[in-house]
Amino acid sequence: MPGIIDSSPDCVTNTEGGEKFAEDGADFILQANYQDCAGFMTFGPGSTYGDEGSGAESIYMILTWLGIIVTLAALAAWMIYENRQLIKHVARFSLGPTPMTPPDGPPPQPGGVGDQL
Amino acid sequence: MIATLIAQVESLGDAASAEGQALDSVILGEQFYFFTVVLMWLIHVGFMSYEAGVVRRKNVLATALKNILTIAVVTPTFYYVGWWIYNCNQPGLPIGPNATDFTAAACQGGIPWSDAFGPNLTNNINLIFFLAFLLFSWTTASIMSGALLERVRLSAYLVLASILGSVVWILDAAWGWSAGGWLTLRFGFHDSIASGVVHGVAGAFTLGVLFNLGPRIGKYTRDGLARQFRPQNLHITLMGLMLIFTGFYGFYAACLVISSTAFPGWANIYLSPTTLGSITMVITFGFAGGFTGGYFASRGDPFWTVSGGLAGVISVSAGADVYAPTLAYLLSMASAALTVYAGTFIEKKMRVDDVVGAVAVHGFAGFIGMFWVGVFAAGYPTGVNNVDSSIGGQLMGMATFLPLGFLSGYAASFVLKKLNLLRVPPEVELAGLDVVEYGDAMYFPEVATPGEMIVEPDGEVVPSETVLRKARDEVVV
Repeated sequence: MPGIIDSSPDCVTNTEGGEKFAEDGADFILQANYQDCAGFMTFGPGSTYGDEGSGAESIYMILTWLGIIVTLAALAAWMIYENRQLIKHVARFSLGPTPMTPPDGPPPQPGGVGDQL
Repeated sequence: MIATLIAQVESLGDAASAEGQALDSVILGEQFYFFTVVLMWLIHVGFMSYEAGVVRRKNVLATALKNILTIAVVTPTFYYVGWWIYNCNQPGLPIGPNATDFTAAACQGGIPWSDAFGPNLTNNINLIFFLAFLLFSWTTASIMSGALLERVRLSAYLVLASILGSVVWILDAAWGWSAGGWLTLRFGFHDSIASGVVHGVAGAFTLGVLFNLGPRIGKYTRDGLARQFRPQNLHITLMGLMLIFTGFYGFYAACLVISSTAFPGWANIYLSPTTLGSITMVITFGFAGGFTGGYFASRGDPFWTVSGGLAGVISVSAGADVYAPTLAYLLSMASAALTVYAGTFIEKKMRVDDVVGAVAVHGFAGFIGMFWVGVFAAGYPTGVNNVDSSIGGQLMGMATFLPLGFLSGYAASFVLKKLNLLRVPPEVELAGLDVVEYGDAMYFPEVATPGEMIVEPDGEVVPSETVLRKARDEVVV
């Protein structure tokens, strides 16, 4: 009985119980449901990748691109979140003394020798 | 009739035996790379300890978390982009999965929607080989990490780490660290354990970033003389380096190809024969020579003595598959000594504030390591075209990797700088990154704001607060 989503590829035989495969010991019973499989994974292209990638399941492509988007979004979110944190703390420092609080003055322009190139 | 049947049965037996041996060999390879991955984790434990020890107390946690979060971003980016770059771009830029050249079959396994990138009963190797390369990717990013300490934004570092770890280094690996890369095929470029491919390119990328990032506030006087910030815990730094060294054995081993069904059982990344014992001898003698060269060149400075070991190993990595132990010992000693001078030059003459000396230890030593192969190990057929290694081939590789690393680092950091996303505000830098990133209440009160000291160029040790406040206005930019 699958959970919410049955993501196993077609090569997997979804037959419960071991009697049907009992003629060759426990390992055979445990592996029999997968005996038609070569490659398999959740939402994956299964064992028939095919020429030029055409065998890939569309849902796996969607999953892959979702992962790429989430990765990029996480990096962007990291930058936005940190920027807000820094702005907030700079404002807080300006309200009172903190360790190593710099004196008033124009903000420095950090850079290096690259600025002179 | 009976004889024919017996012969047929025997041939079936031989076939079954050969099939079993091939499977055993594959499983052996799978286990081997798994354990190299485990060992290579220590490199990152080491980088974390190394950097957390070398910074000032107010930046310890931010430094450690930065190292750990390298794993969070380089892992998915390398999965989605890096492995494709390595497998599909060896002849140049770029080829598609349908090309019919040497890399086409590998290219099919390099794209993230390949069935070789998940549980696959017929492919034991792709995932574990990918993971070994992933650990190399973390390493390249971590090499840069230490140089930027105490003033780079976490998010900026993570973006730069993704670019370096998942795009730049693996592109040069595709070109010069594979049997079918164009540098290998056409020029016989030889960098068996990645002197330049990993370390040199990471160092060049880091230098490009440092040019835009600039020095820490107070690092240089108005006259351009260098001050020294005192490490908060040098013991932790030295322990970190020792952990890196331990992990390096895994790194070296992972750079080999193992096959128990092919003589002599081991090959370098170009599929030329070598042995695990050979490269282990070179790494060990590389440490020995490196420590010695670093010690004498720095007159016993503990940081440069131990960093000299690292530089020594890196400098002999390119030819580790063929070097004699004594050659490795002498080359690493000389290279480590030169690295100390290079580090001093970068800090005091170029006025580049590289906190851990990464540009010298990884960049300089990596490039000189490529060069040594041309001088001392020419004539070894490399790659599927069997082109001899030569000084010309090595110089071609160096001339390719230097701009690739430096310009990509410079360009990426330049964009971040223009967006004002590269560096923390000066108020935050002076107060310390920990209090901003992770809150006020991390430390016991007595160590929250310890009396921070700084070493002036003339050697005088003074409280840093006054100096840094003044440096707020006189910072050399």
